[in-house]
Amino acid sequence: MIAIERTLDTPRWQRVALPFASLLLAAIISGLVLVLSGHNPITTYEQIYTASFTSAGALTSTFVYATPLLFTGLAAAIAFRMRIWNIGGEGQLYMGAIGASGIGLLLGSWPTPLLIPAMMAGGIVAGALWALVPGLLRAYLQTNEILVSLMLNYVAGLVMYFLIYDSKSYWRDLTSPTALVFPTGKTLSAAATWPGLTIGSFTLPLGFVAGVVLAVLLLALVRSTRFGFEMRVMGDSTSAATYAGMRTRRIILAVMAVSGALAGLAGASQIGDFGHVLDPRGLEQAQYGYTGIVVAALAMYNPLAVVVVAILIGALTNAGFALQGPGFPPGLVGTMEGIILFSVLGGEILGRYRIRIGSQLRPQRAEAEADAAR
Amino acid sequence: MSIHVEAGPASAESATAGLVPAVAAIGVTKRFAGGVVANDRVSFDARRGEVHALLGENGAGKTTLCNILTGLYHPDEGEIQVDGSPVRLHSPHEAQRSGIFMVHQHLSLVDSLTVAENVVLGWSRHRGLRYTPRQVEAEISEIAARYQMQVDPHARIWQLSLGERQRIDILKALYRDARILILDEPTTVLTPAETEQLFSSVHEMVAAGRSVVFISHKLPEVLAIANRITILRKGRSVTTVDAAGVDVRELARLMVGHDMPAGRVRRAAAGSGTPPADQRGVLELERVCADGDFGIQVLHDVSLSVRPGEILGIAGVAGNGQRELAEVIAGLRAHSRGAIRLDGAELHGGDPRAAINRGVAYVPEDRMGTGVSPSLSVTENLMLKSYRRDAPHAGPVLLMDRADAQSVALMEQFDIRSRGPHALVRQLSGGNVQKVVLARELSSQPRVLVAASPTRGLDVGATEYVHGVLVDSARRGVGIMLISEDLDEIVELSDRIAVLYEGRVVGIVDAAQASYEQLGMMMAGAA
Amino acid sequence: MNTDLIVAVIVSAIAYGTPLVLAGLGELLAERSGVLNLGVEGMMLMGAVTGFFVSQQLGGPGWAVLIVAMIMAAVAGALMALIHAFLSITVRVNQIVSGLALTIFAGMAGLSSYAGQVWGIGGQHGLHQLTRVDLFGLGEIPVIGPILFDQDPFVYLSWGLVVLVAWYLYRTRTGLYLRAVGESPRSADAMGINVTRYRYVHTTVGGALAGLGGAYFTLAIAPIWTDGLTAGAGWIAIALVIFAFWRPDVLLLGAYLFGALSSLGFTLQAHGVQMPSEFFSSLPYLMTVVVLAGASTTLARRRIGTPASLGVPYVREEG
Repeated sequence: MIAIERTLDTPRWQRVALPFASLLLAAIISGLVLVLSGHNPITTYEQIYTASFTSAGALTSTFVYATPLLFTGLAAAIAFRMRIWNIGGEGQLYMGAIGASGIGLLLGSWPTPLLIPAMMAGGIVAGALWALVPGLLRAYLQTNEILVSLMLNYVAGLVMYFLIYDSKSYWRDLTSPTALVFPTGKTLSAAATWPGLTIGSFTLPLGFVAGVVLAVLLLALVRSTRFGFEMRVMGDSTSAATYAGMRTRRIILAVMAVSGALAGLAGASQIGDFGHVLDPRGLEQAQYGYTGIVVAALAMYNPLAVVVVAILIGALTNAGFALQGPGFPPGLVGTMEGIILFSVLGGEILGRYRIRIGSQLRPQRAEAEADAAR
Repeated sequence: MSIHVEAGPASAESATAGLVPAVAAIGVTKRFAGGVVANDRVSFDARRGEVHALLGENGAGKTTLCNILTGLYHPDEGEIQVDGSPVRLHSPHEAQRSGIFMVHQHLSLVDSLTVAENVVLGWSRHRGLRYTPRQVEAEISEIAARYQMQVDPHARIWQLSLGERQRIDILKALYRDARILILDEPTTVLTPAETEQLFSSVHEMVAAGRSVVFISHKLPEVLAIANRITILRKGRSVTTVDAAGVDVRELARLMVGHDMPAGRVRRAAAGSGTPPADQRGVLELERVCADGDFGIQVLHDVSLSVRPGEILGIAGVAGNGQRELAEVIAGLRAHSRGAIRLDGAELHGGDPRAAINRGVAYVPEDRMGTGVSPSLSVTENLMLKSYRRDAPHAGPVLLMDRADAQSVALMEQFDIRSRGPHALVRQLSGGNVQKVVLARELSSQPRVLVAASPTRGLDVGATEYVHGVLVDSARRGVGIMLISEDLDEIVELSDRIAVLYEGRVVGIVDAAQASYEQLGMMMAGAA
Repeated sequence: MNTDLIVAVIVSAIAYGTPLVLAGLGELLAERSGVLNLGVEGMMLMGAVTGFFVSQQLGGPGWAVLIVAMIMAAVAGALMALIHAFLSITVRVNQIVSGLALTIFAGMAGLSSYAGQVWGIGGQHGLHQLTRVDLFGLGEIPVIGPILFDQDPFVYLSWGLVVLVAWYLYRTRTGLYLRAVGESPRSADAMGINVTRYRYVHTTVGGALAGLGGAYFTLAIAPIWTDGLTAGAGWIAIALVIFAFWRPDVLLLGAYLFGALSSLGFTLQAHGVQMPSEFFSSLPYLMTVVVLAGASTTLARRRIGTPASLGVPYVREEG
């Protein structure tokens, strides 16, 4: 019998050391998997590192994967921190992509400096509105937001498919002959392409820069504003928030809207930074919305840590695609990601708890704990 | 007759029967972290075929004793005997196997399941994997008929009233053939007709040789149902008496004790700070009615007035509407009828922010769950209400450095001991948490302070400190409503005392003259 | 529309719905115990790859090989679920996060793909495939024959499992205890029911059924392995459980409804009715949202049967 008990205090060194210990553990377990399947762990890790960061164009493509994860990670972090379980980032991303590409197509003749904010606004509004559906239901009818936001992900995906594959919508390319046989979206004008920040051969997407700025702003929002204060109180104790006269419904709605807006920006960035076309299959397969939740959890819902974790997961994902081929198994990277997730998630909680192996939780101890909790 | 007689298992009353008691607690002592002794050498025994009442105010140790009898807690000293042999109970399930079944105040039924499903949950008369609803339903109907209970085995729990749910819990005990039933304040959720039904079922149970431990603070019903009564006070078993040989007056005296402990002085009698009687109340309640959590009306036409500089004590046994009264005033619960006025102007219900802005300060009973945000710092908890207006800010940005400086000053003023303004409140001791709450509530210059059980669970030093703060605030003109189950505290601090019983004000007396006996009778519904 | 067409729609809906029924029943059991497992897609893929690998490796009569392959697929799914159980029940990691991590770990670009590569089954053509079994020769009966009596063994298995799970939930004591654990773990614990054990067992069995659902793709639909061949069926299974409001009978019908609706658009288009297929496909999700929102009172919520403790870790004696 393994039992886990809460400890009231974790020493600071432990909190700092734990993520690293977890990563080390993950590396060892992954190494075992590699050895068992006949690969040399050291060279494999080297390969991954090179493919993620140092080989030609590697860093640029790492940020291609890190950018959407940064946005969806922030979206999940802000909501989960408040114990609002918005797992609709996936659908909010799709809606954001629809909104941003719609604006980009509609206003394609505008100058880039005006068009970019307009596209971002399109993504923000679309994502926020989609998130407000579960938000309103939760705030006013106490409907479980996990279930509703999950269901709306499928609907958003179907909306996206409808626009490109099953209708003659504004988003669909109806001009070229091939596009009539193999439906695709309209490609946005050059003005709608978000310029990256180029340093030598490395290009940092505009979306990533915006994401980092937002992460800093979010941290400031949570830490030092009245609204952030309300969020922190509500995330800790709803009854204390009500007692203090806070408008809890409004806070839920605001948080859902912000979360949806961030996921919507992920969609906008997919259009403006990378795809320049609404591509339902590509967006659906990437599952950035769901992965963002895991990114947020690894970052312990801290916006700045989300930036770091998004880069790391982005790097791994990139390596997975770059190294795909003979001699490097395609699923290896996902497996390693999973092992890292499991060990960090497990380890993080174990830091807050103490494992007891052996006797069951004795009633006396349980009651002392209940007492302490009171 | 001395009041502090220890009633042993072989006390005079039980010596008459040579029988071995069905269940007995012998010298049970239970201490909690923080040095609180909840049970101090408590003894009682219930015979076969007997209704044995445990009578006492809240905080007298009844609940702890029950938790020990049902295996939730372990006694530090003493033992529990079933049929004369000592048992060690590690869980409610084990207690049930020993024949002890507790019918809970907070009923432990699964709402979405049917009556029959709940009855067989965790224990069935039949072996094997199968669950046959028809068979179980027939058995339930048979038991229900035998004990004169009306039960629909198909009904789902959420469809039932609280009284009906309690019946299901009793049925569950009888289905398991429990020999010792513990009924914890069973009549609080019942209508008079349901109470009568319950009593006739109880009579059937004891007639069948079972024992019933009946926990209550209501004197008339204890006298009506019990064979013998063990009185608990402040964690001790004071005495065990035959129900036939006592009257309400005697029981009330035994339950609340004689008078205030030596060394404590009635503030009202000392003449300090009593406001002139003709002054208008800063807080006035006029025929206020309100519903409780289960949609049942719990406050009935409560009319009260608190004058500036006055401490109005609200006495009563817990569960008689005190929590709802406090919440109604603080805006956390809407009242269904009546009016609440602050400084003569109506305070609309159900809006905590309006109450705060109008100057209602509230020290809630649930300190950790409601009064503070435990994972936030001392500073943040001190600004829990002031962050909207008064806390240092520049536009929407809160200036935490300056807030910290302010909170350091408050921490000094209110003697809050912590590692500094950044310490998390959940790391503080109970006394310091309460000081944080008081510091926040009083630093907002309130007109009225509602303090609900402000010293519960605190040590002597912290209790004295809280009392000092309350008296001091009254002196500075704050109208204070002190809600407490600790009668000593109420009598010591109050100018006037209102007694709540079953959601009604049964009387308001001058604290300088109030006698414990009179208060005890009122609290027990006997006045 | 003529009857042939209706029969064709139903038969294709059954083919579409069968893996959903299997995986959905598994998720239903886990959620009934209070454990939300979003890792269904990953567990299905592990079942699919393991089942196919085993069927390629073993010699012997085809039916025996396929049975062993199905068992091993279930074991693979169960092992995956065990990770989620440990993290979410014992370590108390957020169930959403743990389940999503499982999907990444085992999913399309994870262990299932890696295993397929290491086992080298990528380009292979399957040696065994479950085919239709015409029960008692009744498959020839018009209309109901092809629907009821001419299906592959997986379909019969899924029907049997629906009956079994329904019987288990409503007519056995353990099923009753399971419902109590998902609804009110505190009460169940007070009645001597081991909440942790119930959650572990049902999460794990749920994983086994998901693995079986995955194996349907590689052992019955088409005996080949490609990365991510379940194509989101695991996600739809999760939605299906919510759509069915945690009832096995509704789940069976729901799975076929999902299948029928997804092809209805195309069928109608073939008959000149222009309705986009996405409209029909989104109906079940939208209906579910409407019902969830409509059931806003506590009473109504109890009636539709969301396990009250879904997603909430159970900690004895705290708070």
